[in-house]
Amino acid sequence: MNLPEKMDVPKDQLRQMNCEFNPLSRCDGSVMYTQGATVVIAAVLGPIEVKTQNLSIDGSYLECNYRPKAGLPQVKERIREATIRDVLELALLAEAHPHAKMSVQVQELEDRGSIDACAVNSACLAMLIGGLPLKFSFAAVHCIINDQGDYVLDPDQSETFHQRASFTFAFDSVDGDLLLVQTKGSFKIAQFNDIECLCRAASAQIFQFYRSQIAKYHGRSEAIAEKVKEQPEAMEA
Amino acid sequence: MSSSGTIVMPGERISAIEEVAKSKRVILGPGLRRLDDTVVASKAGPLRHKEPNTFWVDNYQRRYVPARGDLVLGIVKAKAGDQYRVDIGSADLASISYLSFEAATKKNRPDLNPGDLIYARVLVASADVEPELVCVNSNGKRGKLGQLADGFFFKCSLNLGRVLLRENCPALAALTRRLPYEIAVGVNGRIWLKAHSLRETIALTNAILALEQAGYAEIDKVCDNLEDFLQA
Repeated sequence: MNLPEKMDVPKDQLRQMNCEFNPLSRCDGSVMYTQGATVVIAAVLGPIEVKTQNLSIDGSYLECNYRPKAGLPQVKERIREATIRDVLELALLAEAHPHAKMSVQVQELEDRGSIDACAVNSACLAMLIGGLPLKFSFAAVHCIINDQGDYVLDPDQSETFHQRASFTFAFDSVDGDLLLVQTKGSFKIAQFNDIECLCRAASAQIFQFYRSQIAKYHGRSEAIAEKVKEQPEAMEA
Repeated sequence: MSSSGTIVMPGERISAIEEVAKSKRVILGPGLRRLDDTVVASKAGPLRHKEPNTFWVDNYQRRYVPARGDLVLGIVKAKAGDQYRVDIGSADLASISYLSFEAATKKNRPDLNPGDLIYARVLVASADVEPELVCVNSNGKRGKLGQLADGFFFKCSLNLGRVLLRENCPALAALTRRLPYEIAVGVNGRIWLKAHSLRETIALTNAILALEQAGYAEIDKVCDNLEDFLQA
């Protein structure tokens, strides 16, 4: 794969983000999302029919599945699945579609670091393009402290072998509130605060990316709206 | 319609609408909601405004959410008592009574079977109950509603469906200049098409679906390529 290596990216920068909307044809919205060399596909379906056991009269039921690159989901994948679901549950405007189910599928294609953050971001993009009602969009950022004690934002897998601690934060787009904190390893509280600030700043970049991608996708449909508008005038003339 | 088309994202506060709301009543369409005294978007896409006071978010969507008065294409899934169950692409199956067809009586029931396609109007649409359809207007006449026989059925995005349904849609007009055909478009992103031959039907289908694929800017090109689709 000729994706840009993290080696070229400074430690305080996110890796190159890319996305393609609706690579899948049968779901309501899907996205192939890459961050550096990490690639995931996320798909959403909803609102769809819900089983009676999950039915709720005051909100929609949210289902999330995470599939690893190969084999069946194990404990690690289940934890990741629960993470994505917890964040989505906060963001989803559940009361808009009672008696319905929202279903999110995330398929890992390549894990080269920051897979948790990547999976959460792809789920957000899929919700945006699937037209599911959200209270806010959200973005997750991964950051580590390496063995020299430096902070590395959005590290490639090769940089994570000798990490002291790893952090994943998710923020909402409106108030910048924390939606998710995942930490591993040993660190000082000051370092935690530093990294939270670093990740918060980086999340703004991701929100900018969402907006530009949605704008790009809708750019193509602008032309026809103009055309239809011009038509009647042309007829009168 | 003024298509200012600024992109809004979920959670974004739209103060432009709040300004308008100060002087007159405004109508918030899909993708917008009121949160206390603020107007907030809940979907991502271009913000649209129709004079004098209607606002909505024109987001890309494939899943249909029923609304009263919509014209939709549905597939009959089952007969249940005095109702048919119809798939219109929404979360729940819709229902339509035997009596909501032209000249139908308890004795004279419409002859519909699972798998049949109908063009119907949404009579009841609420988030809490399943949608209900009718195939007659308030005078009991069928108009253009009812069963669609023969032809070819396919699905597309809701946006493409709406584009085709606009008055003076340049795409359908351009296709008409080349081939005669009959079309029924539902706002639920479903299209039924009938032309003289199978080959023509498929060519038209490909041309319409190409509008979605190629981006909407290239209608003329797609219509010029209709001959290619015919030969393919």
